[in-house]
Amino acid sequence: MASSQHVLLSPAELAYLHASLSLTPPIRPDGRSPTQFRPLVAETGILPGTNGSARICFADGTEAIVGVKAEVERTAQRPGEDTIFLEEGGVEGGDDADGDGEAREGVDKRKGDAAWVEMTVEIPGLRDDDSGTAFLSAMLSEALLSDGEFAKRLWINRRFHWKLYLDIILISPPLSYPLPLLSLTSHLALLSTRLPRLKSEGDEDPFFDDDWAAAPYLYPRTTPTTTSSTSPTTTTAATRPPITLLVMAVGNNIIFDPSKEELTVADVALAVSVTSTASSTSKPHTDNADLKEPDTEAGRNLRLLSIRTIDPPSRLTPPGVANAANAAYGANNGAATGATQKMLEAQTAETEAVEGVWKAPRGGAKRRVLGALVQKVLERGGVVDEVLDALEAVDLG
Amino acid sequence: MASLKRSVDSDPFAANISSKVYVRSTKSGKVQKIVREVYLRQDIPCSSRLCTSCLDTAPRDAAGRPTPFVLSEAPAGTSVFRQGHYLVPDTNAFLTAMDLFEQSSAFYDVIVLQIVLEELRNRSLPLYNRLISLTKSEEKRFYVFFNEFRLETHIARQEGESVNDRNDRAVRKAVAWYGQHLARTKAKQVPAVVMLSNDRDNLRKAKQESIPACSLAEYVKQLKDADTLLDMIPEDQDQEVVKEKRPGEPFYPEYFTMSKMMTGVKSGLLHQGIFNVSPYNYLEGSIRVPAFPKPLLILGRENINRAIDGDVVVVEVLPKDQWKEPSTQVIEEDAITKDENADAEETGDIVSEKERKALQEEVKRTHNKTTEGHAQPTAKVVGVVKRNWRQYVGHIDQSSVSQSAQQGRKQDTVFVIPMDKKIPRIRLRTRQVAELVGKRILITIDAWDRGSRHPTGHFVRSLGEVETKAAETEALLLEYDVQYRPFPKTVLDCLPKEGHDWKVPESLEDPGWKDREDLRGLLICSIDPVGCQDIDDALHSRPLPNGNTEVGVHIADVSHFVKPNNAMDAEASIRGTTVYMVDKRIDMLPMLLGTDLCSLKPYVERYAFSILWELSPEADIVNVRFTKSVIKSREAFSYEQAQLRVDDNSQQDELTTSIRTLLALSKKLKQKRLDAGALSLSSPEVKVQMESETSDPIDVKTKVLLDTMSLVEEFMLLANVSVARRIYEAFPQTAILRRHGAPPKTNFDELANQLRVKRGLDLSVESSRALADSLDACVDPKEPFFNTLVRIMATRCMMAAEYFCSGTQAYPEFRHYGLASEIYTHFTSPIRRYADLMAHRQLAAAIGYEAIHPTTRSRGRLEAVCKNINVRHRNAQLAGRASIAYYVGQALRSLKATTTEEDGFVLKIFSNGLVVLVPRFGIEGLIRLRDLADPEPAAEFDAESYTLRTSGSRDLAVELFQKVRVRVADQKDEATGKRGVKMELVSVY
Repeated sequence: MASSQHVLLSPAELAYLHASLSLTPPIRPDGRSPTQFRPLVAETGILPGTNGSARICFADGTEAIVGVKAEVERTAQRPGEDTIFLEEGGVEGGDDADGDGEAREGVDKRKGDAAWVEMTVEIPGLRDDDSGTAFLSAMLSEALLSDGEFAKRLWINRRFHWKLYLDIILISPPLSYPLPLLSLTSHLALLSTRLPRLKSEGDEDPFFDDDWAAAPYLYPRTTPTTTSSTSPTTTTAATRPPITLLVMAVGNNIIFDPSKEELTVADVALAVSVTSTASSTSKPHTDNADLKEPDTEAGRNLRLLSIRTIDPPSRLTPPGVANAANAAYGANNGAATGATQKMLEAQTAETEAVEGVWKAPRGGAKRRVLGALVQKVLERGGVVDEVLDALEAVDLG
Repeated sequence: MASLKRSVDSDPFAANISSKVYVRSTKSGKVQKIVREVYLRQDIPCSSRLCTSCLDTAPRDAAGRPTPFVLSEAPAGTSVFRQGHYLVPDTNAFLTAMDLFEQSSAFYDVIVLQIVLEELRNRSLPLYNRLISLTKSEEKRFYVFFNEFRLETHIARQEGESVNDRNDRAVRKAVAWYGQHLARTKAKQVPAVVMLSNDRDNLRKAKQESIPACSLAEYVKQLKDADTLLDMIPEDQDQEVVKEKRPGEPFYPEYFTMSKMMTGVKSGLLHQGIFNVSPYNYLEGSIRVPAFPKPLLILGRENINRAIDGDVVVVEVLPKDQWKEPSTQVIEEDAITKDENADAEETGDIVSEKERKALQEEVKRTHNKTTEGHAQPTAKVVGVVKRNWRQYVGHIDQSSVSQSAQQGRKQDTVFVIPMDKKIPRIRLRTRQVAELVGKRILITIDAWDRGSRHPTGHFVRSLGEVETKAAETEALLLEYDVQYRPFPKTVLDCLPKEGHDWKVPESLEDPGWKDREDLRGLLICSIDPVGCQDIDDALHSRPLPNGNTEVGVHIADVSHFVKPNNAMDAEASIRGTTVYMVDKRIDMLPMLLGTDLCSLKPYVERYAFSILWELSPEADIVNVRFTKSVIKSREAFSYEQAQLRVDDNSQQDELTTSIRTLLALSKKLKQKRLDAGALSLSSPEVKVQMESETSDPIDVKTKVLLDTMSLVEEFMLLANVSVARRIYEAFPQTAILRRHGAPPKTNFDELANQLRVKRGLDLSVESSRALADSLDACVDPKEPFFNTLVRIMATRCMMAAEYFCSGTQAYPEFRHYGLASEIYTHFTSPIRRYADLMAHRQLAAAIGYEAIHPTTRSRGRLEAVCKNINVRHRNAQLAGRASIAYYVGQALRSLKATTTEEDGFVLKIFSNGLVVLVPRFGIEGLIRLRDLADPEPAAEFDAESYTLRTSGSRDLAVELFQKVRVRVADQKDEATGKRGVKMELVSVY
């Protein structure tokens, strides 16, 4: 798909941009380093009526709002394996219902269903059944649901679950490809999402605490160490909602968070969805508070959720023509040249890169490049960590 | 990027806006986060008459007047706050000791904080309503201060603070603000503002912040009549201490959580219903649930699990091997737990030794049974949805009073035996045992926790000496929830200004005459019991030229005086009915209306609502007409007078002949009714004769039935049926009608079986006609009373008749079983029944006399009214009967020779006793085996043939329906201080 509207750059400008991005180190038009993100401003809790909400504003003026609403819904019962007997359900302790997830993977009886999350994406100027919008929404929900862990958090008991409505709205015109923005905003909104505290036990009809302040976060935060002596450890070992990053490769360079112009010359553009899961040490979750070891390395465990290639607009840009082959510059005005030469020339124009002449990339992404891109994304202490840390630091008030 | 959120710095009004966030769960299962914005203001007055600054800013009404301030400028002081004080109670103070605040001796000038009021409403609606009525009373000076909306007293919840802590802080903040605010007034003596709380933590924090605060007990001690008031503080304030004292096993199983119960009820595994205790056996309860046709039995303390009669509970059906038959034993709590000590009761198991013994016998009996099929499903209570505790009347069990308590002032724990046998004894801690012994007292139940065998309660007030007329009558009224307080001023304001001088306007042009027929020329008379003052109905008849007869029934036009939806109407709809006690009448409407303006007194003109029939000589209705009218009754007869007059052949005046015509017609009407299958049922009715001056009861007479009674009754029935047809025709959805459901056949199983076994009689119950016929056939040539006895027993198998709104039932369900009428309503006694008043309004609208008022047409409201008047009606009957029973006892006493021998009939038979009905006094009494002789004779009970054979110390064979000779005496049980009719079996006929 076309990842953004047409960029009004001439082939020469495109070629220049491509060349400068291919340098080592690359020179980006806005002077960022290859792994640097555009500055953004973020806040949460902007919609008081929602269970969680966030707003992120990029420096280029794109801005998105995400609101999360939760409703209790009855889980459709399949007769057979899941048939519930009240006796049984009433007796067994239902304290695993508060969603402290993966640490007890082995005994986790919770089940999730992708239908429990409903996501709508709204881009100004685009119809909601526009292929671009649909693709964005598919990518975002894929990241959220692909591993099935997220839907499990919505499990209340065997008869009920939360139905989550994510409303993602881009409130500015789509100045750049909005995927990273929407993903980060959704991430932040999910981080700030709280669900009312469950008071009932087992498979009873759910019954909730009416105190909002007691409502736990969908993604529980580890209790911050109150002792001021330790430096505020920003990283936590807890599972976090996925983020989807836009990464592109130009030549040998891997560039994060490309701007609209940069994307027009990308050789490959990827949307990589990553999540951070709790540390693989099988320590029960409850012990974490006592484990006062601020080792960042053990802290975050990045997991790849999905990769999607994005059709960069570079493929749609018309190729530049070398002066020699350009009729405007007087080439071929003599009719004497044979047809064979003409064919040959055309071939040169197609295959050979001519310095200063824009040539749209052809063919699919190389596997090696893809591998390198993914490697780079999953790098420990790399960009993802940085982004997650930054979002973690946003006040959830 | 500028934040979208409201920030304090950027918004100059931010300080005035706050918000409140909570989670709301709706009935349909939705769970929503609710955010409410709170706009803070500064013009909410403190309402102290000392304060002038608030008066300037207080909001004014349309006329520019501020609401008058409530709190006194010179409030009362206590021994500590001599300068005077205002009270600010927290929620717990109201929850635990609402009775204190209702006292007239103290607790004036109280500031009720909004936050407290809201919390109270969430915790207990009845208490909230009581507090609201307190805030409305002018003399108590309770002021509701909206602390949450006043800028200075609003506080935001802090990080990690619980809701309760935040609310406590809000209370302290308000107290502190009041203190500072009042200090700024230029009053000479600034009253202290005192927080009342039982929360230790709250008190401690108040102390830190140097806010004047007291616990309830501390505060009450500062007052004059501290001892009386201290008893009204429930004991659970020192629960913590008590808990530590007894770490033992709890006596009762824990209740399920609310959500678990609701899930169970929804899925049909648990059942919800109202818990009823058997009047003969306090350890046996039953619950009628929608899922089963017959009620479930609940046996034993553990299964009853702290449920009290009337509570809405959830039960679980027990496994089949625990199913049982209903007890054939009489188990009275007094007898079995007589020797328990109120203080040291918490030893041993939940089931006391004696209870266990009683249970064993039960099991033995069940096992001896050859027929297994008799066992009934049993259930156990797993939780209480709603407590329907009220205030109970009782007296202190003398045997539970320790000797030392009789003298000292120290707090002591005693048992209170409620008047209502279905209510278990209540533990009460009091300092005034000495004063309260031998008094009728009013108590409430506070709690019943798992660790205590009996519920705990606290003292509310004393009604007076046991057995004084005033105390006993008030006790009855309280027990049956009869509103007996004088009518408030708002109600009296609705009466006509002329008072007793009100007259039917002379000029026919007067609006009162509009659409009214002038029936003053008719020879109308009323026939009522002796001394009747509220005359609802009057009759007339006159021959028509065509050979038919015109008959008129004229009913007091109450709806002319009681307009819909005013204070008087509201009060009447709450009271629902007039309650007749032996010596007292609790009116539904103020005296002025009931006994004067509405009452169809003789010789004066009165407004009436008339029904005029043209009846053929065979008493068939040729046509009927309804009209508002003005009548002038010629005479008010008593039944006896009227009877004499009719029987006296020398009387040939027009009035007497017209009564004779009515009498003749009424007999035909009655025959028609009986042919249609109307039942003539019976209940033992007696009349207490009072000495005219002292109004002490001197004798008891059974009521004599006179023809004239039946005359009035027949025409009233005819009027009711005619009106019912008419209003149903006009308002098919909202007509207020009365139905009497056909009793389920199973209700008669027991009686039919008894009749078959004992007398070889057959009771057929297919229809009311069949039942009426078979009842007629139930005669014992040797015993004329036998038929009445069977009728009395059959009556008890019936359903209760009820008012309903026609839209709630299908037409076939309208049927009145007892009267064998397709449709029926109550129209003829609007002075004493609210249903009749509603019927009057509907009929007036049906005949186009006036427009129908919305409240008389709204189905929801009518259903609510029906529900209330059904309850009131029943309570009024019960109260009336209880009153008669009490006076019968008193009359027995005054019949000198404390004992009287009378004939009685065996009504019920148990393995260890029998119930005897004495028709002469209309009373029933229980005779236990151990009363027969000393030592208790051995007995053999044959449940199949309803025979009890005793041997050993006394040889007897008693069976059901048998006529026996009993000695009836009024006796006081020394142990319980309870007086009752005591029967002794003299001989068996």
